[in-house]
Amino acid sequence: MKIVVAYKWAANPQDAEVGPDGTVDWSRAKGAVSEYDPVAFELARVLADTCAGEVVGLTVGAAAIDTPLARKAALSRGLDSLVMVADDALRGADGTRIAAVLAGAVRAIGDVDVVVAGESSVDVGDRQVAMTLAAQLGWAGLNAVRAVTADGGSLVVEREVAGGVETVVAGGPVVLAATADAALPRVPGMKEILGAAKKPTQVLDLAALDVPAPADTIAPVSTARPDTGNRQGVMLDAADLPAAAAQLTAALRQSGVL
Amino acid sequence: MNVSSQAWVVVADDATIGGLLGAARPLGTSLVALVAGRREVAEAAAAAGVDRVVWLGEPADGVPVEAYGPAVGRVVAEAAPRVVVGPATDSGRVLLGAVAAATGAVVLAGASELSLDGDKVVVERAVGGGIALRRDRVVAGTAVVAVAPGGTVAGAAPVAVEEVDPGPLLALRVTDRRVTPRVGVDLGSAKTVVGVGRGLKAREDLALIEDLAAAAGGELACSRPLAEGVDWVGKERYLGISGQTITPDLYVAVGISGQIQHMVGVREATTIVAVNSDPHAPIFRECDYGIVGDLYTVVPLLAEAFRAARS
Repeated sequence: MKIVVAYKWAANPQDAEVGPDGTVDWSRAKGAVSEYDPVAFELARVLADTCAGEVVGLTVGAAAIDTPLARKAALSRGLDSLVMVADDALRGADGTRIAAVLAGAVRAIGDVDVVVAGESSVDVGDRQVAMTLAAQLGWAGLNAVRAVTADGGSLVVEREVAGGVETVVAGGPVVLAATADAALPRVPGMKEILGAAKKPTQVLDLAALDVPAPADTIAPVSTARPDTGNRQGVMLDAADLPAAAAQLTAALRQSGVL
Repeated sequence: MNVSSQAWVVVADDATIGGLLGAARPLGTSLVALVAGRREVAEAAAAAGVDRVVWLGEPADGVPVEAYGPAVGRVVAEAAPRVVVGPATDSGRVLLGAVAAATGAVVLAGASELSLDGDKVVVERAVGGGIALRRDRVVAGTAVVAVAPGGTVAGAAPVAVEEVDPGPLLALRVTDRRVTPRVGVDLGSAKTVVGVGRGLKAREDLALIEDLAAAAGGELACSRPLAEGVDWVGKERYLGISGQTITPDLYVAVGISGQIQHMVGVREATTIVAVNSDPHAPIFRECDYGIVGDLYTVVPLLAEAFRAARS
């Protein structure tokens, strides 16, 4: 079984600067394997180990995602090999284009049975790309996945639904987005980090992937800082905590929220 | 691609579509619901004040709504409406992904406001995980937008349910469904919520926070590390960007630093109170009242004061 882990090399918005006009400056935020993705590596590795499968990492983005550090960070997480599309034409690409490039790369890898992804990217947070990828491939897509096993030619998927857990059998290839706590990801040790250098990485040429050119469907109008609600920001005196508690309680009662 | 002036909503086997209809209705000259899922959902949509209901037929036993992705994509692409609004839910995102793949549109997620500028749809949404807001105009093709599905709607004179052939479905089958013991909590409608974060040192100490929640007449909630890192609190009580979003009158954040991923889920609270031992915690910049102090000292005092005030 060939398993692809589709992950993102992304910066955490916690490290981005937001200007007064809502413009976001990412220049001081460093890339990393996106926070929600290590669980996808783990699910893929566990699945591969139970069915003598192979795990291929896949990430796409601007040229800067391809560094020795970035390769090592992915390859030390249980991958057998890594495939990248790193091209500045993808800088700031929208989710549908990223999904189309991922789909092109999955086709180029060939004979893929399942793609596993995290539930969301840390820098965008739309929770959409994996499911758009499924549709681009013509495959089924399932969200909120907490476990997956192989059963003959089928994949048996456990997913969370309102009030419970469902078992879904996928008879064909499928894209799965894992819940953030589907598995406890192993932390790469020295052995894995050293071993990463020996694993193969293939960089695919974007132009060779036969992905349609981006359609300019969206034009920016404006940006803004999110409204923080004009909070009062009253700091109560911590030197006298009983008085602070009383003062707070009185204020909350007066404004009718307690 | 030329688009019609219609507004469509995609319904994913769930009749709670008030939010979808409210978002889509002002954007088109007519409102069409495309329903994947059971007939009863199609009939509920037909009585929710739409102009047309297009239904993809009764699913065979065990066929989940995700199997209808290709059908949803094809029907929407053929109709080429001005806008498609779908639910920002697990299955909704699968169907919207199918629409995106079929139309080439990008799914605009996290939309907070939709409007029309001439015949173009303008979408305001949170970007960068919620750190900024951005407004875009959809200048070509269909606008595809994900919004919170909202509540049920009824009472309109029902329109006919038009059944169309979905064509081949994807090979998915639900073979088992287990109810998990944790009962659902409705944090979304709670008036008071007490959230706890990494400042809590041990699971047993949750009793302190539960007591504060009880004293305030509210629900217990938490930040991500407590639900997904250590599993001390049920995941359905986790607030933030991939958890719950709340709109209470009062939110008390205890031992929560106030990372943006958390604040995105609680920003709509009328009043925010923060208790944290770190005077530099970011939450003190986004609260109405702040107390710098050890939660193990502050929380019992607050519980006592709240209880006395409310009795």
